[in-house]
Amino acid sequence: MKGPVIASASTRAHLQESVARTVLLAASALVIVAMAAVVLYLASEGSRLFFSDHISPLTFLGRLTFDPENRAPGALVFIVGSLSVTIFAIVVGGPFGVAVGIFLSQLAPQRLAALMKPTIEILVGIPSVVYGWLGLTLLAPFTRAHFGSQTGFGLLTAGIVLSIMILPTVISLSEDALRSVHASLKEGSMALGATRWQTIFHVLLPAARSGLTVALILGIARAIGEALAVQMVIGNSAVLPKGLLSPTSTLTTEIVTDMGSAQAGSVMQHALFSMAFLLLLIAMLLIVGVRAALRRPS
Amino acid sequence: MTAIADSKSFASRRLLESQRRVADLLATIVLWGAACSIVLLLAFFVGYLFYLGAGTISWHFLTAPPSEISAGGGIGPQIFNSFYILFLTMVFTVPVAMGAGIYLQEYARPGAFTTTVQFCAESLATIPSIVMGLFGLIVFVTLLHWHFTALGGALTLTLLNLPALMRVTQEGLASVPLIMREGSMALGATKWQTIRRVVLPSAIAPLTTGIVLIAGRIFGETAALIYTAGVSVSAGRSAYDWSPFHTAETLSVHLWYTHSEGLVPDAARIGNGSALVLLVMVLAFNVLARVLGRLLSHRLTSK
Repeated sequence: MKGPVIASASTRAHLQESVARTVLLAASALVIVAMAAVVLYLASEGSRLFFSDHISPLTFLGRLTFDPENRAPGALVFIVGSLSVTIFAIVVGGPFGVAVGIFLSQLAPQRLAALMKPTIEILVGIPSVVYGWLGLTLLAPFTRAHFGSQTGFGLLTAGIVLSIMILPTVISLSEDALRSVHASLKEGSMALGATRWQTIFHVLLPAARSGLTVALILGIARAIGEALAVQMVIGNSAVLPKGLLSPTSTLTTEIVTDMGSAQAGSVMQHALFSMAFLLLLIAMLLIVGVRAALRRPS
Repeated sequence: MTAIADSKSFASRRLLESQRRVADLLATIVLWGAACSIVLLLAFFVGYLFYLGAGTISWHFLTAPPSEISAGGGIGPQIFNSFYILFLTMVFTVPVAMGAGIYLQEYARPGAFTTTVQFCAESLATIPSIVMGLFGLIVFVTLLHWHFTALGGALTLTLLNLPALMRVTQEGLASVPLIMREGSMALGATKWQTIRRVVLPSAIAPLTTGIVLIAGRIFGETAALIYTAGVSVSAGRSAYDWSPFHTAETLSVHLWYTHSEGLVPDAARIGNGSALVLLVMVLAFNVLARVLGRLLSHRLTSK
């Protein structure tokens, strides 16, 4: 009597199993489809500048004059601007973030660690426009008053804002990297009489090298892709920065500033799509870098 | 001779020893300083934003529609749009990201497919927000002729936030001990029954915390929305518009727009107030994530 009931329950369970498996597989496949769509559409719109407008990629990448109305969409100023703020951010924010990562993984008393975890999560959660607003109302007047900058807008202000914005990324990833170092390495070093700092500097940091590299690369990715916070404080003029205090533009800020008024099908619009595609390529290159760093045995 | 050499090396060793200790002390001070400055920095930001914005917050400001050219506009519809787009984004993101996360963690074997999914997820997570916004502009606004819509904005945000929620799902599932799966399977449950009745309920606390934290981040997304959801509130019958096919400027976009392009004379006041509301929302999402996580893990362990 009971046989068929059990059998049908078990067939149903197996049917459910294969349905679930297929649905879950489809969800994973959707991630690939999404990424492929993003790359394809941005590549196709981003290459119109070269194939429809017949502008040489060398002009786009190598020229300083950005004047799309006269078929001179040179993006070099923005490329230099993006690299400058990113280098500034990683040079200032990178070591700072790693230092806090060291503190959290090695020194922090439990209570302070319990306070810092939500602190970092809140810093991640603060929207980029709010960072931009802080830069605008706090930092720009400060650089105007104390560093002799005329407007307060420029590389320095944007760089400081970005340094703060990349901190959470660098902190949490370097903390993870240092925590994953095997305890025996640390114990061995301490047993040999090394001080805590010697252990950190000569044993832990080298051992966590690949994880720390990932932390810095993803910090760079965050800095080079940030748009609004930078746009609000960098001054947005399409000229090479003459120094830390002079205003300039980056790839992202130029897209934000001019996309709204760009005519559909114009050289301007195509140039902005090319910049977006360039940023996409940079992002993917950084991910390849992350993968390479993780593969390298440390 | 040897005695002198000994005492010399003893002296240099002592010097070295004290240098070591000073270096250690200095490093300790620097590391403490760096860590404390992070906490102080956030405290300062919070205090400063309250100082700037507290005066502008009023019932009128929080509920009134914005004004195009004259002073005195509110941010009501923008707050509504922020929640509305957050809701739409979660409707798309949660099933797909959790599905993919469960598949990768519980079913997938290492291989080309798994590697590709992971690479694509990492790349999606690294694509700058503004670049994703332009993708949304190409596909949803132009190609599908939706123009600026809440739905287009939400779909763009979905692409940006899928990877984070996938990671949360994978980490949550990984925190469930293997023995619980083995117990369930040994009782004859299928893999899916095990996941649905044993693994997912056991991981409910970290999953909820992670989802709420991501929701907080989606609430503040800006760059991806400017060219997908638009920079104006709906011109429909009311500025509070439930249609997913109308423009929907969110609060964070409004903060950027009034500063950069807006014409109102009281842009600074609106900026200060909006920045404070955004900050309070971030704090609220963080507190909510923590409280829910604690409640759920408590309920689970006490049962």
